[in-house]
Amino acid sequence: MRPAIDELGFEAPAPIGHPGRTGLPAGYPTGPEIGERLPDFELPDPAGRTVRFHADRGNSKAVVVFYRSAVW
Amino acid sequence: MELRDAQEKFREAGVALYAISYDDRKVLAELAETLGIEYPLLSDIDSSVIRDYGILNTQVEPNDGILYGIPYPGAYVTDEDGVVVEKFFRDSYKRRESAENLIEAALGRLLPGDGEPTAIGGEPEVRLTASLHGGGGTLKQGAQRKLVVRFELGEGLHVYGDPVPEGMRPTRIEVTGPPGVKVGEPSFPPTERLRIDALDLELPVWGGSFDVVIPVYATSELASECHPVERTRATLEVTVHYQACNDSTCLLPKSETLLLEVPVLPVDVQSISLHQGHGQRELAIEGERHLRRLFLRKGRAHPLGLLRFVWSQVRMELADRLRPRR
Repeated sequence: MRPAIDELGFEAPAPIGHPGRTGLPAGYPTGPEIGERLPDFELPDPAGRTVRFHADRGNSKAVVVFYRSAVW
Repeated sequence: MELRDAQEKFREAGVALYAISYDDRKVLAELAETLGIEYPLLSDIDSSVIRDYGILNTQVEPNDGILYGIPYPGAYVTDEDGVVVEKFFRDSYKRRESAENLIEAALGRLLPGDGEPTAIGGEPEVRLTASLHGGGGTLKQGAQRKLVVRFELGEGLHVYGDPVPEGMRPTRIEVTGPPGVKVGEPSFPPTERLRIDALDLELPVWGGSFDVVIPVYATSELASECHPVERTRATLEVTVHYQACNDSTCLLPKSETLLLEVPVLPVDVQSISLHQGHGQRELAIEGERHLRRLFLRKGRAHPLGLLRFVWSQVRMELADRLRPRR
């Protein structure tokens, strides 16, 4: 079995077709839509402080990035 | 690392930045400290926010080991009220927006140039400037950039949008580069309507200064995470076709090619055995112990998954050792 290469040329620890390597299936919802307010969330930051999204950003515009892992 | 490199730009633009993953605080704290990341790396350890947002990758099952709990990766951009104005979710998990793309989406305008590669051309009264936005104007596997062509037309001059009057050259831009550079459709601003009373016509035109944005990204043919970058520079050929006219006369139709030389960078990867030794840029964090902790955390929750995952990794490792090297 060879590590498989996707269209961008990445080899990753799972064969093509493995769910961990698939992107969004067509038509899959991607969460809150344009025009919707982002749901609030409360998560710890690296220092252990609890960050509550809307309170923390105040009146600023914001960018919220979801990524898979800092480890792998 | 591009978010980290651009974190000052987020601050200057007044855009708050948050990054969320299922990692534990320990690895995020180490990452933040070692790499000087000042925006919050938030720990969604049981993927509850990922689930709440509806972006849990449900194609991965609990028995898929450490993969369980990952989101479909992407980004939301909001206005001052926290309402989504744009979002970026790509069908390949490795395609991602430049930090500048995210800031520009938040601000609704292009950021000014920042020392990135630029090529200038045109003629008196029609100045053309091509530049590559994003990542400091570099190409990197999977990273979405914007090639911006700015037109600066002299007083009274305009160029044509479609439908173009007969005999006139339409405004077109083509971009080519070395193998592995993918170019998207150019995005022009809305045209103005120019009224020519003598001919009873209304023409779609652009005048003054305007920007055309062309999405560009690199695939592995140019720069891969699996082997060292072969060429550290690439030349993008930007060919601009146009014809400039004023109310009474037209200049000759023009086609000009601007050459944009841009650096090509290796991919940043975590320092775990999976990624090592292929010529990418490894982060200065010893990653194996964090990987072990992740293993155990997911394994405690789904013991069978742990075994299955270990076995699949062993198979991968064997396959990797046995295949012929490039």
